[in-house]
Amino acid sequence: MMVEALVEPSIKVDVADLNVYYGSFHAIKNVSLKVEDRRVTALIGPSGCGKSTFLRALNRMHDLTPGTRVTGSVRLDGSDIYEPGVDPVVVRYRIGMVFQRPNPFPKSIFENVVYGPRIHGESGRDELLAIAEKSLRRAALWDEVKDRLHRSALDLSGGQQQRLCIARVLAVEPEVILMDEPASALDPIATSKIEDLIGVLKKDYTVVIVTHSMQQAARISDYTAFFLLGDMIEVGTTSDIFTRPKDTKTEDYITGRYG
Amino acid sequence: MAQAAVTSEAALERRRRGAAGRRLGDQVATGLLWAAAISVLVLLALFVGYIFFLGIGSISWQFLTSPPSEVTAGGGIGPEIYNSFYILIMTLVFTVPVALAAGIYLQEYAKPGLFQTVVQFSAESLATVPSIVMGLFGLLIFVYLFGWRFSAIGGALTLTILNLPALMRVTQEALATVPDSLREASMSLGATRWTTILRVVLPSAIGPLTTGVVLIAGRIFGETAALIYTAGVSVAAGRAAYDLNPFRPAETLAVHVWYTHAESVVPDVARIGNGSALVLLVMVLLFNVTARVVGRFLTYRFTRKS
Amino acid sequence: MAIAVPPRIKAVASRAHRSEFVATLLLRAACALVVLSIAALIAYLASEGTKLFTHDHVSPFEFLFSPVFNPEANHPGSLVFIVGSLAITAFAVFVGGPFGIAVGVLLSELAPRRFVDVMKPAVEVLVGIPSVIYGWIGLTLLVPLIRTVTGSNGFGLLAAGIVLSVMILPTIITLSEDALRAVPDSLREGSAAMGATRWQTISRVLLPAASSGLTVAVILGVARAIGETMAVQLVIGNAAVLPTGLLSATAALPTEIVQDMSGAQQGSLLEHALFSMALLLLLIAMGLILAVRLAVRRRA
Repeated sequence: MMVEALVEPSIKVDVADLNVYYGSFHAIKNVSLKVEDRRVTALIGPSGCGKSTFLRALNRMHDLTPGTRVTGSVRLDGSDIYEPGVDPVVVRYRIGMVFQRPNPFPKSIFENVVYGPRIHGESGRDELLAIAEKSLRRAALWDEVKDRLHRSALDLSGGQQQRLCIARVLAVEPEVILMDEPASALDPIATSKIEDLIGVLKKDYTVVIVTHSMQQAARISDYTAFFLLGDMIEVGTTSDIFTRPKDTKTEDYITGRYG
Repeated sequence: MAQAAVTSEAALERRRRGAAGRRLGDQVATGLLWAAAISVLVLLALFVGYIFFLGIGSISWQFLTSPPSEVTAGGGIGPEIYNSFYILIMTLVFTVPVALAAGIYLQEYAKPGLFQTVVQFSAESLATVPSIVMGLFGLLIFVYLFGWRFSAIGGALTLTILNLPALMRVTQEALATVPDSLREASMSLGATRWTTILRVVLPSAIGPLTTGVVLIAGRIFGETAALIYTAGVSVAAGRAAYDLNPFRPAETLAVHVWYTHAESVVPDVARIGNGSALVLLVMVLLFNVTARVVGRFLTYRFTRKS
Repeated sequence: MAIAVPPRIKAVASRAHRSEFVATLLLRAACALVVLSIAALIAYLASEGTKLFTHDHVSPFEFLFSPVFNPEANHPGSLVFIVGSLAITAFAVFVGGPFGIAVGVLLSELAPRRFVDVMKPAVEVLVGIPSVIYGWIGLTLLVPLIRTVTGSNGFGLLAAGIVLSVMILPTIITLSEDALRAVPDSLREGSAAMGATRWQTISRVLLPAASSGLTVAVILGVARAIGETMAVQLVIGNAAVLPTGLLSATAALPTEIVQDMSGAQQGSLLEHALFSMALLLLLIAMGLILAVRLAVRRRA
């Protein structure tokens, strides 16, 4: 007799047979991955293995780079975002992205946070302020900036700017947040703040994070996928990957045979 | 052994003298280079000083506001100053939208291909046209073909075509100063490319854009060859010289400086020429300084980089 | 299956796409205007500039090589103006060229940062001075000076050449400074390591290495000089005779156009001749600059 799981894990993003080509260079080779809802999935691997390329395929960022070709499917709640006729603008409303280097706009903190809602048609002053406060609180930045919302975002420290970028993404209320090495440009204290934040965010959002630090992956993620040279070698729960890797290549990377 | 020592000593002496000669040559050359550079600075100081010294005596409220005279002494440059600004503003009104649009297209949208190559090549070719030739083109089109005779708007349109390439280059360079990471951030939040350009890229590029536009405005203010046969060398009489009718002759200050010395028969050519040159120079210098000051301020405000 | 989003978002997205469509249409229209402008310019100038040959039946040979400029008698030989243009341009290049390169070398290799910070705005001001002002300075300062020193009436090749040299200086200074700065430091270090003095490094290593950039600087200076009108017209003397020496009054292509266009009847031989001169100017300037740009791009 089979014991049924009490809670059926639900898949938020279902990637099947994904290939990404930069011109003739085959960057992502036939990768399939199921990303579970409200969990943190980490993508690890040595530099150049394609983890960032894979991440960017999940919100159609490759549309912006001419000469790039994507095949396969990425299903968000069952609907393929690469189906012909799908509007990438709409896809990015539900899947947001935080980049490696903080990239706040040269505007005020307030204008940065409400940029997304503004372009999605939100205009009331009070509504925007409420959204700004909610997003900044969720990004653990509200207390530090509540008295200077109208000062330039460029005056913030690196760690604060990155949390601002996270607040900016949260203001759009996506369901999935993609993070491309969000803490690699930050100092250790700022990094740990971001990691704590991710731990809180995963209660409400699905997070996929690319990281070059295995320790970070081990600390914050529920699932880990190991990439090498465009292939996804192995995926599983984080504890399984780090303690009982099935593939020797994974084990070699974990144990530091190559960086 | 003694023989070898003498020879090497002679060789050493030759080498020492050679080195001294080279050092002398070095010093002479350096001196000449510095002399060249210093003389450029002296030349500039001489020009500016000469113009100020000669012209300051002609400046008076009467000079700056009264109309020019055809044959008698005592004319002023009032209408010419007005026309300079009038044509400048009209030219900018025409040039800025077109050059900005074309520059944005080339920098943000154009994919390598026939259209992009043709447009880029057209802009580069337009940039090679000497201003006198542009003036003759304006003569053919606006004065003859359209039948406008000498007109302010004919001059402005001629100057527009003349300055399109420069302003397009300013636009493209200004847009290039905006890092791609900002475009990525905007589009990852669900903005279209056009929204991104309007709300993020253009505001971020406002510093270099402003500098460029104001510098080009300075060039327009001093332009002569393209205006002589399009906007003409005369001004309307009385009140009509200060109106907003674009279809009348409109001699600018720069053209007036030329006309006074090349064709005019008034007896006080020197006084008028000196005064006009001074006013023209002051205006152009003002444009130059404003362009840099404002540009630097705006760039800092929007990038926190100086 | 479409991606599920609130209908409000769908509406906003389609509105944004529609705006972008209209916007790109307008952007492309602006580009088309640019193309139309140069096409019309070349077409009209070619048409008007060849009327001398097609309508008035003057031979191009006579136009280009005859020193007799007598349009009333149907002899619009423009050799005078071509020679005049070449002469003053050559003067400007041989005087202004080395001068400008020298300053460029100084700014790139020898001058301390603070001096460069003073020099750069000074050069920019020189560029910004309108040509009429240069012409006026030439007329009121240089011409009388030449008159006192040489006894001639002061107008002529020398005055025009000097004025033109000063006017192309900033172009040559800026471009040669850029060309020298582009030479990699490894060349400077290698030369110094072999015991060369600074000047030896400059003359034997850097100048040759930057030679293509310096050539571009000079050619662009030439292109600027060829088309320069106002400053030259005030000091060259405007006499339609072949120059016999530096002090002879003569004329150049652009100055002749300015000089006689106002008196030329529409449709007359003189007017056609002037347009042919304009066409010639256009071909020279465009040809020079585009050739340079092509050469630069091919190297890159």
